[in-house]
Amino acid sequence: MKINAPLLRNAIALGLSASTLAMTTAWAEEITVWCWDPNFNGATMQEAAARYTAAHPDVTFNIVDFAKADLEQKLQTQLASGTTEGLPDIVLIEDYGAQKYLLSFPGAFAPLNDAVDYSAFAPYKVELATVDGQTYSLPFDSGVTGLFYRSDLLAEAGYDAAALQDITWDQFIDIAKAVKEKTGHPMLGIDLNDAGAVRILLQSIGSWYFNADGTPNIENSAEFRAALETYAKILTTTEIYKPVSGWSDYTGSFTSGEVASTFTGVWMTGTIKAANMSGQWGVAPLPRIDGIEGATHASNLGGSSWYVLESSEEKDAAIDFLATVWGQDVDFYQSILVNQGAVGSFLAARDGAAYSAADDYFGGQAVWQNFSDWLGQIPGVNYGIFTNEVDAAVAAQLPTLAQGGSLDDAIAAIAAQVKSQIQ
Amino acid sequence: MAVTRLGRNENLNGWAFIMPALVLLGIFMVWPILWSLWMSFQTGRGAMTQFGGLANLERLISDPVFLRALRNTLMFLVIQVPLMIVLALLLAVALNNPALKGRSLFRTAIFLPCVTSLVAYSILFKSMFATDGVINGFLETLHLIDAPIPWLGQPDTARIVIILAITWRWTGYNMIFYLAALQNIDKSIYEAARIDGVPRWAQFLRITVPMLKPVILFTTVMSTIGTLQLFDEVNNITTGGPSDATLTLSLYIYNLTFKFMPSYGYAATVSYVIVVLVAILSVLQFLIAKDRK
Amino acid sequence: MIRLRSLITYGLLCIAAFVSVFPFFWMLIGTTNTSADIIRGKITFGGELATNIANFVAQVDVARVLFNSAYLAIATSVLTLLVSSLAGYGFEMFRSKFRERIFAGLLLMLSVPFAALMIPLFVMMARAGLINTYAAIMLPGIASIFIIFYFRQSTKAFPHELRDAAKIDGLKEWQIFLHIYLPVMRSTYAAATIIVFMANWNNYLWPLIVLQTNEMKTITLVISSLASAYYPDFGVVMVGTVLATLPTLIVFFLLQRLFVQGMLGSVK
Repeated sequence: MKINAPLLRNAIALGLSASTLAMTTAWAEEITVWCWDPNFNGATMQEAAARYTAAHPDVTFNIVDFAKADLEQKLQTQLASGTTEGLPDIVLIEDYGAQKYLLSFPGAFAPLNDAVDYSAFAPYKVELATVDGQTYSLPFDSGVTGLFYRSDLLAEAGYDAAALQDITWDQFIDIAKAVKEKTGHPMLGIDLNDAGAVRILLQSIGSWYFNADGTPNIENSAEFRAALETYAKILTTTEIYKPVSGWSDYTGSFTSGEVASTFTGVWMTGTIKAANMSGQWGVAPLPRIDGIEGATHASNLGGSSWYVLESSEEKDAAIDFLATVWGQDVDFYQSILVNQGAVGSFLAARDGAAYSAADDYFGGQAVWQNFSDWLGQIPGVNYGIFTNEVDAAVAAQLPTLAQGGSLDDAIAAIAAQVKSQIQ
Repeated sequence: MAVTRLGRNENLNGWAFIMPALVLLGIFMVWPILWSLWMSFQTGRGAMTQFGGLANLERLISDPVFLRALRNTLMFLVIQVPLMIVLALLLAVALNNPALKGRSLFRTAIFLPCVTSLVAYSILFKSMFATDGVINGFLETLHLIDAPIPWLGQPDTARIVIILAITWRWTGYNMIFYLAALQNIDKSIYEAARIDGVPRWAQFLRITVPMLKPVILFTTVMSTIGTLQLFDEVNNITTGGPSDATLTLSLYIYNLTFKFMPSYGYAATVSYVIVVLVAILSVLQFLIAKDRK
Repeated sequence: MIRLRSLITYGLLCIAAFVSVFPFFWMLIGTTNTSADIIRGKITFGGELATNIANFVAQVDVARVLFNSAYLAIATSVLTLLVSSLAGYGFEMFRSKFRERIFAGLLLMLSVPFAALMIPLFVMMARAGLINTYAAIMLPGIASIFIIFYFRQSTKAFPHELRDAAKIDGLKEWQIFLHIYLPVMRSTYAAATIIVFMANWNNYLWPLIVLQTNEMKTITLVISSLASAYYPDFGVVMVGTVLATLPTLIVFFLLQRLFVQGMLGSVK
C-alpha cells in the first residue's frame, strides 16, 4: 500500500492545477510561530518579534493563531503523522500538557538548556517542562492564582481587604454565607463539569494527582482527600454559588456583576478589567486548606510555555530569539504586562516599574506586585502525563459530591476510572 | 450465463459512470481506512507504538468510560432519530401543499437552524437553559414547575437539552431531502386517490410514505450515522457533562486523540465500534425497508 | 372542518418557524450588542453594531477569508456534484451484483469517523507535497459517498421509460445523462447543491489540519479562533457568524424555487 508520490503529484497537478493557488515559500530566515489568542499570547509574541527583528533585520516572523483546541489538534496530528512538513518553528503549549507532549513525541522538541538560564524563571515552570534533566520550554505566562473579589459587595457585608488575608477555606465559606445573606449576591460561579478548582487546591498544598514515579496519588492520599473534601464543602453549601455551564457562562457570572468573587489564575485580570467596574474589585491571596502540612496561599491554574521544534529549519535562530528576548529582556516583560496583562515567569521582570504600579481598577492595589510575590511561592509539582484523564474522572464525581454524596465513594470511583484510563 | 453484446455494453457504461468516484475513493478513503485499521492493532503512547494484537479490544471491554459513552450514544440514537425523521416528513408534506400561503417563507424559516452558526446557537442554548434563563422563567410563569430546573447541571435534563438541540438543528436539513423527493411524485396519483375518496392521512401513509421510501431510507441511514458520530452539540453545549451524562463515542474518540495521552490505536478501535454499529443498524434498516415492499 | 385543520396547520407551522428563526434572529441581534450582553442572552437590539463591525474588520482580512472560503466551496461543490451524481446514476441505472457489493462497502466506509482517517490522510498529503494547498482540502471530498447515496436513492424515482425512449432515439449514455437526466432531476440537484455547498463552506476540521498560513485561512477557521480566546468578544464573533451564514442562505434562496417545480412537468 505504498503511494507513488511523484505520480500522484503529477496527476493532481494536471487535474487541479487551478486549485493549487498558494504554496508556502520558506524564506531564508522566517520563524513560524503557532499560538492561540491573538489578543493575548499572539500579541505578546508580536511584540517580542518586533524587538528581535529590530536587532536582526534578516529575521522575519510569521505568527499564526488558532483556537487553542485547534492548535492542539493540528500539532498532534502532524507529530503523529511522523512527517515534519508543515510544523512551525516555535509552538505554544499549555503547561498541563507539557509532559504528555515531551514523553509521547520524544525527539520532537529541542532542549534549550545550553541557551537559556533557567535559574531566572519561576522554579515550578521549569520543573514541569523538564524530562531527564533536560528542559525544553521557554516559560511564558504564569497561572498564579488569587481570589478576585468585589470589594464593594464585601464591604457591604462587613469585610475589608484585611479580613481576607491569611484565611482558611472554612473562613471563606463563612464569609460567602454572610455576603449572600447581606447582599443577595452568590460568592462564586461554579461549573460542575470543571475540575480546575480541585487542581488549584491540590497544588496549593504541594501535591498533585500523581506520585513522583507517575503512579496515581488518589486513594490513600491525605492531600487529595483534603483538596476534594474542601471543594465538596463549598459544593454542598449551595447558597453561596451560582451553577454555571461552560466558560463564557462562568466568566459572565462575575463580569455581569452578579457573582461576588472567583478564585483563578492571574490571566483572568484582563477579563475582569474589561467588565467596566473600576474601583469595585480587589485581589486577595488564595484561602488556605486547614489542617494539612505544607498548605500555602499560592497555587497555579493553567499557564503556557514556548517550545522549539527539533525539526525546525530555523532552530538556531528560534532558540536565539527566545533566549534573548524572552529570556533576558526585562523591559519587554514590562511592556506585555502593561499592554496584554501577561504575567511572565521571568523573575527579574518583577523589579521593573510596571510591576509595582498601583491599579485604580483594583482600588489602587498593586495587584501585579501581589501576584508576582505569590508566583515565587507556588509549590512545584510534576503534572505528569495523565492530568486530563484524572481531571475527567474528578469532574464526573462533582455533581454527586454537590448533592452530598460520600467522599469515600467518590474517591474510590475516581481511582477506579483512573486505573482503567491510564494505559 | 452468456453475456450478450448489449449486456457487455451496459456493464461497461456502468463502470464508466462510477469510475471517477471509485478512483478518488480508493485513494482518499480506502487507503486511509486500511491504515487506520492497522493502527487499531497498535498500542502505546503518542509516536511510540508497538503491535498490541487484540489489546485494544480487551481495553475496550473493561473501560467504564467507553461503556458510558456507548450507552449515551445509543440513547441519543433511539430517541432522537425517529423524532426528527417524523417531524421532518410531516413538515415537508405540510409545506408541499400548493394551497398553503407563505410556503417559501416557512421553508426558509425551518431551514435556518442548520445554517445558524454553532457558536451562536450554543451560546444561546446555554443561556436559554441556564437556571435563571428564559425557559425556566417561561415554565414558572405557566406554573408548570415550582423551582427552577438546573437543566445543564443534571444528567437527564442535560440529555434532553442535547436532544432538543440536535433536533432543532437538523430537522430542516432533512426536510430539504423530502421536499425535493416530493416533487418527483406524479401528482395524478393523488388526483386519482382524491376522486376515489381516500382521506388525507391515508394518502400520506399509502402514497407519500411508500413513494418516498428510498429517500426516507437514505435520511434514516444518514441520520443514524450522524447521531452515532455526534460531536458538535455535546462538545459545545455540555462538553460531555455532567458526570459524563452526555459523553458520546465521538467526543470520547476526540478526548483519546487530542485531550488525553494520545493513544491513536485505541481511538481507532473505538472508531470501528461506530462502524460496526452502523453496519448492524444499516442492515436492519435495509431489511425493514425491503419487508414493507 | 377543513378550515379548522388548516388553522391548526398554520398554527403549528408558525410555532415551528418561530422556534427555528429565533436563534438566527438572536444571532443578528448579537451583532448589535456587547460581549457581556450576549453572554447574558439579551434579546433586544443594542447600539454596538458599528463598533463590532469595526473591530471585526480590524482583526480579520475580510475580503481574503471570504474569497478563500468561496473559492473552496464553489470549486469543491461543482466537482462533487459532477463526480458523485455520475456515480449515483451509474450505481442505480446499471445494477450488477458486483457493483451492489461495492456500494454496500461504500456505505460502510461512510461510517468511519473522520478523526480516524485524519492522520493517514495528512501523511498522504505531506508525501504528495500538498500541505497548505487547496488541492489537499478539496481532493478527499470530491467523491462524496453521502451524495452518491443521495443521488442513487433519488434516481429510483427517475422513470426508466424516459431512458428507453431516448435510447430508441439513438442517444448515447452520456447524452441521456446530460440532456434527459440532468434537467429532470433538477430538484434533486438543487437540494444536493445546497447540502454540498453548505458542507464545504462550513468545512472545518480538515482545512484546519492542512492549512498552515494566515493567508489561506477560511472564515470558519477565523471565527473559531476569535470565539475561543481567553476573553472572546462575542459581538465581533456574531458579526463573523452572520457573515459566514449569508452565502449559504443566498444559495438556499436561489435554489429553493426548484423544489416547487415537479420533475415530470419539466419533460416535454
